Amino acid sequence: MKNRKSAVSILAAAVLAAACASAPVTTPTLDQARSDFVSANNNPQVSTYAPMEFKQASEALDQANQAAARRESLSDVDRLAYVAKQRIATAQEVAKAKAAEANIADASRQRDQVRLEARTAEADRAKRDAEAAQAAAQQAQAQAQATMQQNAALTERAAQLESLLNDIQAVKTERGYVVTIGDVLFATDQATLNPNGTSTLRKLADVMSQNPNRTVLVEGFTDSTGSASHNQDLSQRRAEAVATALGQMGVARDRISMKAYGQAFPVASNDNASGRQQNRRVEIVLSNEGAQIPPRAAMR
Amino acid sequence: MNKHQTMTGLRLSCAAAVLALTACASPDQAPATADVAVSRHAVENAVSAGAADLAPAEITAARDKMIRANQALAARDYKLARELAVQAQADAKLAQSKAASAKATAASTQLNEDLRVLREEVDRANTQ
Repeated sequence: MKNRKSAVSILAAAVLAAACASAPVTTPTLDQARSDFVSANNNPQVSTYAPMEFKQASEALDQANQAAARRESLSDVDRLAYVAKQRIATAQEVAKAKAAEANIADASRQRDQVRLEARTAEADRAKRDAEAAQAAAQQAQAQAQATMQQNAALTERAAQLESLLNDIQAVKTERGYVVTIGDVLFATDQATLNPNGTSTLRKLADVMSQNPNRTVLVEGFTDSTGSASHNQDLSQRRAEAVATALGQMGVARDRISMKAYGQAFPVASNDNASGRQQNRRVEIVLSNEGAQIPPRAAMR
Repeated sequence: MNKHQTMTGLRLSCAAAVLALTACASPDQAPATADVAVSRHAVENAVSAGAADLAPAEITAARDKMIRANQALAARDYKLARELAVQAQADAKLAQSKAASAKATAASTQLNEDLRVLREEVDRANTQ
């Protein structure tokens, strides 16, 4: 029993001794250095940017590993592992710096490129703006010229109208231009126009053909001599004669209105011959451009 | 830069002179002295790269080990002097590369931001 017990003790001691002999020496620093080495080895930036520093770090770690394999003192292993750890960290930092420098170079190129593009875009914008401004200026000029020509045409037409209306002694009133066909332009007590009357109407027909937006109102009047019905009839016939004549001269009938007033609305005294002659008349009211002719009753 | 190079040359000459003078004193003395000189140079390079601000822990460790390496030299413990010099050099190189990567990363980030702002401005201008 006692022998057996001592045999177990001897076996245990042998196992312990063997374990001690084969157990590799390591330190926390060496473990850390090995772990850092794996990280650096997996970092592509290290192999790209710091191959020399990484090689030195590998050599330092090899020395530490060899010292550990030779079972040198823990302090020696730790010292070598420390140097290896610092060199691995140095390789990482060098790689980081070189990568940052590479990014600086790349970003600088991009910045130059963006600036160039910005300047180009700005120049293009300025060119487009200038072209647009020029086109607008040309358009404005063309419009101004067109307006000027239009105004000149309008002025000329107005002058022509003025001149024609002057010829037929038209008088400007609030209702429009008024042309008076006097008694002398009709045969005595008749509704027939004499050549002078026809000539005046022809000029008025010209005015109307040139001013298609104007209409006429033909108004017939007489003096107070004779019966009212006779006078109403005569004023009616004379107004009709004028309207018919204008129609024959090419003025559309829907542009011609007609009204007979008989002896109403005298323009002079019926007490003497000259006054009565003035009252025997046909007045033709030429509307203003595109406007209605206000009825006579509303004027009084 | 020229001044720096001259200084470096001078230091290396001094180191060489010290090396030559002390060559016969001990077989371990010469390489230890050279290692300490190289490490001091590494610390100075790291400081001029801005490590004092950008990698304070590493540069402090490097300086501390430099002081202890010099003390070991004075005590004629050349083995310890070399070991400390090698560690100080590793610390100094890490400090220098950390400072350099911090600067480059900051510049890169700033440039990326500038580029982003510029692109926005250009896009705005183009859509107007």
